[in-house]
Amino acid sequence: MITRGLRYLVRAWRGGELKLLGFSLALAVAIVSGIAGFSDRLSRSMEQQSHHFLAADRVLKTARTIPDGWLDEATALGLHTATIASFRSMIYAGDGMQLASIRAVSDSYPLIGELGISETLFGPPMMRSAGPKRGEIWMDSRLFALLNIEVGGEASVGESDFTANQALISEPDQGGMNEMLAPRGMINFADLAATGVVQPGSLVRYRYLFAGSAEQLAAYEQWLSPKLDDGQRWQDVRDGQPAMAATLQRAEGYLLLAASLGVALAGAAIALAARRYGERNTDSVAIMKALGASRRQVLVHYGGQLCLLSAAAIILGGLGGHGLQWVLFASLGALISVDIPPASWRPLAVGAVTALGCTAVFAMPPVWALSKVSPMRVLRRGNDEAGAALLISALIGISGIGVLMWWYSGDALLTAAVLIAALVTGGLASALVLLLISAARRALIRGASGALRIALAAIYRRRVSNAFQVASFALSLMVLASLGVLRTSLLDDWRLQLPADAPNHFLINIQASEITALNSFFEQHQLKDAGLFPMVRGRLSHIDQQKISDIEGIDAQDGSINREINLSWAADLPEDNRLQSGRWWLDANTEVGDVIPVSVEAELAESLQLKVGSELRFNIGGQLLNARVSSTRSLDWTSMRPNFYFMFPPNSLENYAGSYITSFYLPTEQKRLLADLLRQFPTLTLIEVDTLIQQMEVIVGQVSTAIGLVLILVVACALLVAVANVQASLDSRLHENAILRTLGASKKLIIRGLLIEFAAIGLLSGLLAAVGSNIALMGVQYWVLEMEVVWHGTVFVIAPLVGVLTMCILAALSCRQLVTQPPLVVLRQAF
Amino acid sequence: MIRVNNLCKTVVTGGQQLDILRGISFEIKAGESVAIVGASGAGKSTLLGLLAGLDNASSGDIFLHEQNISRMNEDERAAVRARYVGFVFQSFQLLPGMTALENVMLPLELAGHRSPAAAAQTYLDKVGLSDRGGHYPRVLSGGEQQRVALARAFAVNPNILFADEPTGNLDEHTGQRIVDLLFELNSQSQTTLVLVTHEASLAACCERVLTIHDGQLHEHSSVESAAL
Ligand SMILES: Nc1ncnc2c1ncn2[C@@H]1O[C@H](COP(=O)(O)OP(=O)(O)OP(=O)(O)O)[C@@H](O)[C@H]1O
Ligand SMILES: [Mg+2]
Repeated sequence: MITRGLRYLVRAWRGGELKLLGFSLALAVAIVSGIAGFSDRLSRSMEQQSHHFLAADRVLKTARTIPDGWLDEATALGLHTATIASFRSMIYAGDGMQLASIRAVSDSYPLIGELGISETLFGPPMMRSAGPKRGEIWMDSRLFALLNIEVGGEASVGESDFTANQALISEPDQGGMNEMLAPRGMINFADLAATGVVQPGSLVRYRYLFAGSAEQLAAYEQWLSPKLDDGQRWQDVRDGQPAMAATLQRAEGYLLLAASLGVALAGAAIALAARRYGERNTDSVAIMKALGASRRQVLVHYGGQLCLLSAAAIILGGLGGHGLQWVLFASLGALISVDIPPASWRPLAVGAVTALGCTAVFAMPPVWALSKVSPMRVLRRGNDEAGAALLISALIGISGIGVLMWWYSGDALLTAAVLIAALVTGGLASALVLLLISAARRALIRGASGALRIALAAIYRRRVSNAFQVASFALSLMVLASLGVLRTSLLDDWRLQLPADAPNHFLINIQASEITALNSFFEQHQLKDAGLFPMVRGRLSHIDQQKISDIEGIDAQDGSINREINLSWAADLPEDNRLQSGRWWLDANTEVGDVIPVSVEAELAESLQLKVGSELRFNIGGQLLNARVSSTRSLDWTSMRPNFYFMFPPNSLENYAGSYITSFYLPTEQKRLLADLLRQFPTLTLIEVDTLIQQMEVIVGQVSTAIGLVLILVVACALLVAVANVQASLDSRLHENAILRTLGASKKLIIRGLLIEFAAIGLLSGLLAAVGSNIALMGVQYWVLEMEVVWHGTVFVIAPLVGVLTMCILAALSCRQLVTQPPLVVLRQAF
Repeated sequence: MIRVNNLCKTVVTGGQQLDILRGISFEIKAGESVAIVGASGAGKSTLLGLLAGLDNASSGDIFLHEQNISRMNEDERAAVRARYVGFVFQSFQLLPGMTALENVMLPLELAGHRSPAAAAQTYLDKVGLSDRGGHYPRVLSGGEQQRVALARAFAVNPNILFADEPTGNLDEHTGQRIVDLLFELNSQSQTTLVLVTHEASLAACCERVLTIHDGQLHEHSSVESAAL
């Protein structure tokens, strides 16, 4: 049975009818399993990389040590654990002493990621997967500079002496801003007790790190969560790095979207190829039936062929998909610094189910229709243009694609948005094509000339298939337009592509007396700084005469309120800030009366329910300051310039003791300058954010490269659809053109007619795609990506242009044989 | 072999009723050769299709090999065709995706023949196309294609052979060779032959001639039909 089927398959393949269908199926499997595998492995790799921000998979943050049993349970479950105690303490060396942020880390730290150390200050890092040994202290380069010792010198913490044998260049987990304010010293956890620094009541924070498989982590989390109290926080990557989590989620969403649309496009190509396959076999089925084949035999014969074909397509496509993953990762190259996780079977399964699903949904209806072909066809050709059957198979196809996409993306909303956009496009396409046809008819009556006439006649003759062609090509273009726009708008939105010279170091605690010297230091070393901003630290205590803690709807424990906030003043609205409401002071001096105006950052204003006119009271070092909100501003937090929640006019904060803050860009090669800087200005506090920025840049780079590559794959799918479209009309075109040429039409005339016809189809498809993609984008932006909804006008220019060009090139390529084959050959083949 | 009782065929197209056959009755005995003639559009192909069970009759009975095929469903009729019936068509109707040999093998395979390839080759030899078995129909001339069709029709040793204008698409000379071959194979295998034609010379080769006119059947002697 199977060998017979195989033999038929080989025959049909040699006969040339199955090639397009098989190719479409294999390409669908390759693309789908390639995208699935790639995005699966990429997101796993990105997740892994982002786990470096925690140096673990999960972290338990607490102010007290946890019971021994908790770690034992984790070990029993197979999890790896590590412990970090962090506290502030003085470090002494010779005559010098300096407040440092100290971490005592256990031997297994870090669980994920590596520590970068160097024997030269600010030198290039060597990566290590373990922290300092007993008796060693690793310190920030600036700490060496501040204490005025060399690498290898002696330093002491509390009652213990250490050898400062390495400069600590980078840590996998940066910790919060608080930890970054003071320079880092790192010792072994086993040395902690001997220092005597940790006394009852001293402020020590503990981080317990856990790493393991998802199941182990889940089991432990289930065991642990009932035991946690309010002061203990269980964190995963998403809690630890909300910005990173959002980035990852968007990237995942994007890849899934691209893959779903890839499925839809591949499905359309398969449907077209299968329809042609069915059409080309209608006569054969009539003959077979006349020779005594039963309906079942026909079904088994053609269904079997399809099954064998999909099996072959799955194998070939699976291999192709694997190769595709490999190519994709290879082209990512150095961007991926962590190991690529191994390939899994899931993508192949996804590809296989897709192939079988597409076969069932798109290729089976034509076969089912084949089994109903009347054998009477051998004697007299009937017109079995079954409109209802076509509609039914279209419905089956659409719902099948919907189910596949839903299963594939696991997102009903996304699927619905895409499908609805597709249906709207399809509906519009049909309506417009009908309009065009009636216009063409009128033009014909009025007597269009030459090539135009031929083109219009051709469009009119194939109005049903043209409607389909425009709809499906419009759909492909729509997909491309959507993805193209999404890619750029995602990147715009992330704005993580910082300019190369964005500030990467912050200096705070600059005294007014140091400003001149600091400026000349910057000048001397040609460093670009973001300007000096004055800064006074104060606490917001009252809003409209009410104590903040008493106001309903405000979380007084919120980190952004329940702490000392940096207040600043300026005569002009800072660069990058945009006024949202109210107005900026024109002339500060005239406006400062008894109540001082203040400009508030917009998001904070919203969460504090502040409006222009709200009265605020600040506590600045024990002194009270009353102010009235005069405007709200939006900030660009990623600008890497000093930003302030509250800004006052000049002369209003003068009486309060303050300092200055600035940020500047320092290239990695010049890191050594920091030692000079700190030696010259020992009281400054330096915050280095360059490594953080670099890590973010790597991830964003990965994501955008991945998106570009996936886009190329979707382009391949779209081209497949277009080719299948043209192929579908090839037979009837061959025949028609042969007749036209027999009747005396020149090659040139026919080619011109063809080009006009295809250009019209491309133009129409492009316009429809522009409308459809804008609709789809709105849905996706609103529901999936949760971004601002914007209208994209440029698509209306680009999509029609691309449509016309693609269609004309395709026409030129695949219709070459239309005019190169002698009419006699064509007419002889047409029976 | 074939018995037809009061056969009617009516089709409705575009809201109009068209009576193609209005009560036709006749009988054909085993081994007879019968020509069906008539003007174009008279209903010859329709009748042939009904006889072969390719279509449903509106009313009346058709007995093929003593089986009432007008009471059968499509698949049962197909089974009868697979066992007893062979076909030759005006437009050859070879499967374009199969080689000449594979086309001949097809009905053998459908009938469950044990070594279809060998049997098919024998018949290709008989029609003089021994060395063209690997060629696809599109590279064969019309006469060659019709010879392949003849080989395919006779390969299953049918009890009844239906032919619809077997020479209609061929020039006179080639047509004559096909006719000769058809009757030669027919006499070898003692097949009952029913053929539709409007060529007098071909009709003259048959033992009986049935004429369709106005949906009715008239029987002539072969001499009379030769005058058509
Ligand atoms: N399914 C149908 N629908 C509409 N009309 C039909 C149908 N079947 C047959 N006819 C009509 O019935 C008439 C007989 O058709 P048939 O093909 O049997 O003629 P024929 O005698 O074989 O003619 P020719 O010698 O030209 O082949 C024709 O007028 C044809 O148009
Ligand atoms: Mg006929």
